[in-house]
Amino acid sequence: MTTQPEPVLRAVGVHKSYAIGSREIPVLRGVDLEIGVGEKVALLGASGAGKSTLLHLLGLLDTPTQGEVQILGEPTGRASAGARAKLRNRHIGFVFQFYHLIPELTALQNVLLAQMMDTSVLGYMGKRARCKQQAVEMLTQVGLGERLHHRPSELSGGERQRCAIARALIAEPSVVLADEPTGNLDSQTADGVVELMFSIQRTRQLAFLLVTHDETLARRCDRIIRMKDGVVIEQERAS
Amino acid sequence: MIPAFSSFLARRYLVTRRINVLCMLGVAFAVWAMLIVDGVFTGFVHDIHTDVRSSSPELLLTDLPHDSSYEALRAQLESDPAVATTAPRLRHHGLLQPVRAARAGQRSESSQLEFERARTNNGFAVLLGVDPQREPDVVDLETWLDRGPEQIERRGRQDPRSTVFDEPDPERRAELLLPDAMEHAARVQAELPCDPDPTRHRSVWPGVLLGWPRVFANARAVQGDPFDVLCVAFPTEDADGAVMRPHTTRMAFAGWFSAGSRMFDETTAIVPIETLRTMLGHDAFDPQSVDLVTDVAIRPVADLDAGAMSALAGRLQRLAQASLPEGSPPCVVLDWRAQNDTFLSAVAQEQAMMEIVLFIVMLVSAFVIYTTLHMMVTQKVKDIGIVAAIGGGPSGVGGVFLISGVVVGTLGTLLGVGAGMLSAAWLNPVNNWLYSQYQVELFPRGLFDLDEVPCHLEPSWVAAVAAGAVSLSVLVAFLPARKAARLHPVTALSYE
Repeated sequence: MTTQPEPVLRAVGVHKSYAIGSREIPVLRGVDLEIGVGEKVALLGASGAGKSTLLHLLGLLDTPTQGEVQILGEPTGRASAGARAKLRNRHIGFVFQFYHLIPELTALQNVLLAQMMDTSVLGYMGKRARCKQQAVEMLTQVGLGERLHHRPSELSGGERQRCAIARALIAEPSVVLADEPTGNLDSQTADGVVELMFSIQRTRQLAFLLVTHDETLARRCDRIIRMKDGVVIEQERAS
Repeated sequence: MIPAFSSFLARRYLVTRRINVLCMLGVAFAVWAMLIVDGVFTGFVHDIHTDVRSSSPELLLTDLPHDSSYEALRAQLESDPAVATTAPRLRHHGLLQPVRAARAGQRSESSQLEFERARTNNGFAVLLGVDPQREPDVVDLETWLDRGPEQIERRGRQDPRSTVFDEPDPERRAELLLPDAMEHAARVQAELPCDPDPTRHRSVWPGVLLGWPRVFANARAVQGDPFDVLCVAFPTEDADGAVMRPHTTRMAFAGWFSAGSRMFDETTAIVPIETLRTMLGHDAFDPQSVDLVTDVAIRPVADLDAGAMSALAGRLQRLAQASLPEGSPPCVVLDWRAQNDTFLSAVAQEQAMMEIVLFIVMLVSAFVIYTTLHMMVTQKVKDIGIVAAIGGGPSGVGGVFLISGVVVGTLGTLLGVGAGMLSAAWLNPVNNWLYSQYQVELFPRGLFDLDEVPCHLEPSWVAAVAAGAVSLSVLVAFLPARKAARLHPVTALSYE
């Protein structure tokens, strides 16, 4: 008898509502979801369906009003803000539509920053050279080997997103959460970025949750989850 | 543990945002101002204390009843083994009028402008009667007489040092008489009657020593010049009730003194105590008279600490009180600080006020740090969201801004301390250079009768200012840091 591996991410009856004045606005209404190891999942839905909110909850950036998010089978409901930050650093990589790179830092420094999160100054000093080598390799892998010391303002949109991907992957997360990663790119550049993401995903057997409006892109994933009005309305195998 | 990203990001923000340099300069300026201004003030206060102390006896018995006798008090006071010696003092208000000026028909200054120009030009003086035999034992008269001509010389005039206290004949010294030839020459100069043969002339005018500031009003006075000294005796009773009895005595100007305290030097004229007693109706040859005193200056034995000095003052007060007639109001024994309490309190008050003003300057610079960091947090909300998304915890996020504030505060403090110490070391050379090149003085020394600007940086004050500045920086950086740490990652990421 073989045991099923724990899913990387699991949402169990997740609700999320926001209070606006005295009104409660429900955004998610009981979402159940699992993402397995090495699985590529596309999350589709119209604007306001609750995709980004779900992404934030799964990425531990926010806490559900009700229900629970588990990472590798471990519940996170009672974790403090600091503990959630550590879990994010160890298990989750984010890629955002607008790249979200820190403008004062070069491409290399933006990637290195992710390696400084869970270590003291002295601890980092001891492994600085190794971290730098890893960051250079990662940036080279995403095609930015010649742009290491350029700031975000000196990079094109595609290059910025590649840099963001490198930053998301440098800490070797279990899952990457990508929120419309090609939404701000022209189609040719977007294709390049998608190819890069999927290639790394295949190589590293990463779990991938891709929030997108693009049906064609979603079809390239293993599974498509459709959302509407804060609930999952359909899950289908894509290919 | 402060994670590595906090210091890394703080460093990047500090290097790339020029406003932080401005902020650091603000702290440096505040620290520099606190050090240099307080250093100069401390130097002034130190000099003032030294000067005031040199102008006062260690202890002074005062507030005695009228008609107090020195001999009775002396016996009591000197019975205490901690008393080395005492000297009688008689203090009374008087009026000085140079005879030559009066004979030349010069009027005394009277308009407001004239009065403002020369406060010591009005002739009024506190006549301090001293015993020339005993007074040198209770205060440093030698130094007073040395410094008088030095002060005059600084103002471009040369006058010889007074020698009346060096007179070998005790009877002549008791009256502070000038050499016979000197008085004779003064009589000739002032067209006063005198023996045509100078060798037969004998001095009779008691000497009067003036505080050096009176040189402004008596620019042409030379030793031997006659002065009419007027004072009014204590009221006496006659058939019509209380009567004020004015007495005028002709005295000879016997030289300048500088006790060190500007107020003392401006107001006081030193005369022989017996002369003043006579003017007040207590002639030494009158068996009914007493050896009148208003104060007794006391020199304790050496090496008494503050506690022993205070205990001695208490003992002497009781001894003196016991020797006074029953029912006399309480007398007091004051140490040198208490003798100048009003002046020293005013100086201390000024220093305290100035330190408050400087502290406000420091607060302003701290506020600059606060506003800069607060602005930085507002501008970096998105970055805070990014850092949170890649695993930065609240303490690490707060640490970015706390470290920024601490670095700005610490560097500013170090810069300020360095600049303050350099300024203190170079204050006088720079002041001298400015004066020699442009006739500009940052600190007008003449105003305070000082050779150079006194600047005394106390190491404890430097340490206190530095520690205060850094602590204040931490305190004001804490608030924006807390705000950053409390930002919700999702709110921060979606901030536009």
